Amino acid sequence: MNKGIRVAALDDIPQGEGLAVDRTITGTDDDIALLRDTDDTVYALDDTCTHEDASLADGWVEDGYVECPLHSSRFCLKNGEVQGLPATKNACPHRVEVRDGEVYLFPGEAP
Amino acid sequence: MTDRVVIVGGGIAGVSTAAALRAGGFDGDLTLVDADEFPYDRPPLSKEFLAGAKGVEQLALQPQQWYDDQRVRLINRAVVTALRPGDGAVELMDGRLVHADRVVLATGGSAARPPIPGIDGGDGDGDRVHVLRTADDADRLRPSLVPGARVLVVGAGLIGAEVASTAVRLGCEVVLVDPVATPLAAALGPDLASWLHALHVRHGITAVQTTVESFVDRPAGIEAGFSGVAAPRLFDAVVLGVGMVPRTELAQTARLETDRGIVVDERQVTSNPAVLAVGDLARTRRDGVLLRRTEHWEAAQHDGARAAAGLLGAQPPAPSAPWFWTDRHGRHIEATGHMDAAARTVVRGRIDDPSFSVFGLRDGHVVAAASVDDPSAVRAARRMIDRRTPVDAARLADPAVNLRALLRG
Repeated sequence: MNKGIRVAALDDIPQGEGLAVDRTITGTDDDIALLRDTDDTVYALDDTCTHEDASLADGWVEDGYVECPLHSSRFCLKNGEVQGLPATKNACPHRVEVRDGEVYLFPGEAP
Repeated sequence: MTDRVVIVGGGIAGVSTAAALRAGGFDGDLTLVDADEFPYDRPPLSKEFLAGAKGVEQLALQPQQWYDDQRVRLINRAVVTALRPGDGAVELMDGRLVHADRVVLATGGSAARPPIPGIDGGDGDGDRVHVLRTADDADRLRPSLVPGARVLVVGAGLIGAEVASTAVRLGCEVVLVDPVATPLAAALGPDLASWLHALHVRHGITAVQTTVESFVDRPAGIEAGFSGVAAPRLFDAVVLGVGMVPRTELAQTARLETDRGIVVDERQVTSNPAVLAVGDLARTRRDGVLLRRTEHWEAAQHDGARAAAGLLGAQPPAPSAPWFWTDRHGRHIEATGHMDAAARTVVRGRIDDPSFSVFGLRDGHVVAAASVDDPSAVRAARRMIDRRTPVDAARLADPAVNLRALLRG
């Protein structure tokens, strides 16, 4: 059974912030952003904003959303759904699990 | 009961109004009248689009499918020539009437052209003097921005500075003039603003504090005469970035109240209850006082959300401190709040560090912030302003102190 890729320790991601995991590790087309919400739940989305070239891992994470660091488009952490302009496309979500303080990523798997 | 809404103008204000109406459950007829082929985003016009790195189809505010999905009837390449509130309609250039219970005006403004002698080209064709408000404007300017071209940018505000940055990157010889020593000081604070203005010089732009007094078309270029000591110079192209004039003609003809903008209440309603105004052209009266118009992208988006909430009888979204960004010379600058309301400023990091920010404080609270390549500082500051979070200036100034922790108090 697929146990996922161990990509970080939970403590590597400050609350309300993100951490980008390189595509050479995830095997995906884009890097994947691990995003730790203000309630400490960790989510994963494709890292590059669907609007312009910005890393969502550098965004502002709060109350279920990540805000892009360039133009403030917001994406739902759970499903990647875009909430407002300038982005118009959803971000691709990935399944992520935290076990014993370690973060496991399942690239390409729906959450 | 509102059954039919027509929005005039397809910028961010107009499109945001349409989106917010549908998101809020509006089920009636929704029409958007736009002068262009399709509504597109303006901020890239002075940057990637001007540089030729993006085409206009990449600037579309929404994909074509969105208008179908959201049941927004887009009347493109059309101009509204008259409001007919008495008939419950607007009239298009071809005489067609579009009926509506409510009209939302979102036509923005046109670029200001100061009354400088020779600005309209004299006996020349005047093609050398440019402005930048639309994709067509950028398309006209782009062929002039070739390596070695002599380019004069008049005005070092957001658009002028961004055009200057793009032009110098394309290899032009750029002269940037502004009448003030430190443009944007009121918005960014003097320390960051003077660093930012000096960045132009570091990237090879000649920045001069002066005003243009005359233009004369010569065979070898357009000659600009300056006030004070600067000698006249020849240029291949001139770009005016000296502000905008709100398009109030439709409103004035329909006898709506205007005052260097269309006067609206806090739900964006004009002096005629059937007509609303959003975006750059709207000027809000709050508690009997006319506020300054705001010309920022996000403010226009928020206007649309407020207008929609008002039309739907819903609670308007909570107000937030104003926010804007600008990109130049590869640096991303953001600002929030009202820096001119600050009693003092503190720098987080050091001016000229790879990233740094400035916070404006008053009475133990943040009232404004500006950042260079550190957007999270401004996002934190904005929440501190909105939530009235008390802050300690020394901790704010210390880059080792986490701003999210300060925000939590």
